[in-house]
Amino acid sequence: MQRISVTASLGRSTLQFDEAAYARLESYLAEAARTLAGSPDQAEILADLEQAIADQCSKRMQAGLGLVTVAQLQPALDEIGSVQLPGSAPEREAQPARQLQQVSEGALISGVCNGFARYFGVDVTLVRVMAVVLLFASGGTMILVYLALMLLLPYAPSTRGGAPIRKIPAKSRQLAESVRAKFSAATT
Amino acid sequence: MESKLAPIRKGLLEFLVLRIVGGRSVYVPDILRRLAETEFATQEGTLYPLLSKLRREELVQYEWQESDVGPPRKYYRLTEAGKAQLAALDDYWNRLNRTISEIGH
Repeated sequence: MQRISVTASLGRSTLQFDEAAYARLESYLAEAARTLAGSPDQAEILADLEQAIADQCSKRMQAGLGLVTVAQLQPALDEIGSVQLPGSAPEREAQPARQLQQVSEGALISGVCNGFARYFGVDVTLVRVMAVVLLFASGGTMILVYLALMLLLPYAPSTRGGAPIRKIPAKSRQLAESVRAKFSAATT
Repeated sequence: MESKLAPIRKGLLEFLVLRIVGGRSVYVPDILRRLAETEFATQEGTLYPLLSKLRREELVQYEWQESDVGPPRKYYRLTEAGKAQLAALDDYWNRLNRTISEIGH
């Protein structure tokens, strides 16, 4: 045995749907209800839409055939279109989850304080002052905490694009280059 | 170009609906037919939420009218506030038109 039709009351009309059409109808109305969630007119608009669907389907029914199938329902739904709230702002891009990161741009050491400042939305100087105060208050233990954070926290992607770049201080770079030059001079 | 025009149309739709409802009491298929001939062609999925908003703002009201075929229909018309709003919008539209045609010539 198979259930072949579902009777649905739509607005002030009553129609018979086959299973597939009924499922399609349910998902359209659920989607509309989601879009209208929070609108004070949700119930009214849904009732209007139900009536519109019923009218559109009736218009498309072949005479003498009492069952709405997807063949009638789909063009009806296409004509009605998805629900659009008036003046709704374009959907905002999903904000990436806020994550504690090191920010090497403008960093003094590695960017840990910079990262904390960005995470909490405060001035980086304030974070640095607090870090120095904590350094003395903790009797130096803060250095270990800082080192741990420096090693563990990921780097924020550079705002100038490209991969995050760990800034190597100019002096160290010069030193490394001169050592390399001397090494290659000595080995050749 | 189209992406710049779409928001303009979207903003003007409410004005056009007020104009259409302003003439006489209409029901939704009337409004859709009037709009369908223009670049403001609109679907029920957009129009019903807009009408509900206008009704909540007390610019339009509706009444049920019996129909020869099928169930009763909602007929919309402007309230006094709606008429005042439409007059103000008409006025503004004319000024805007003048400004646009005068500027840059």
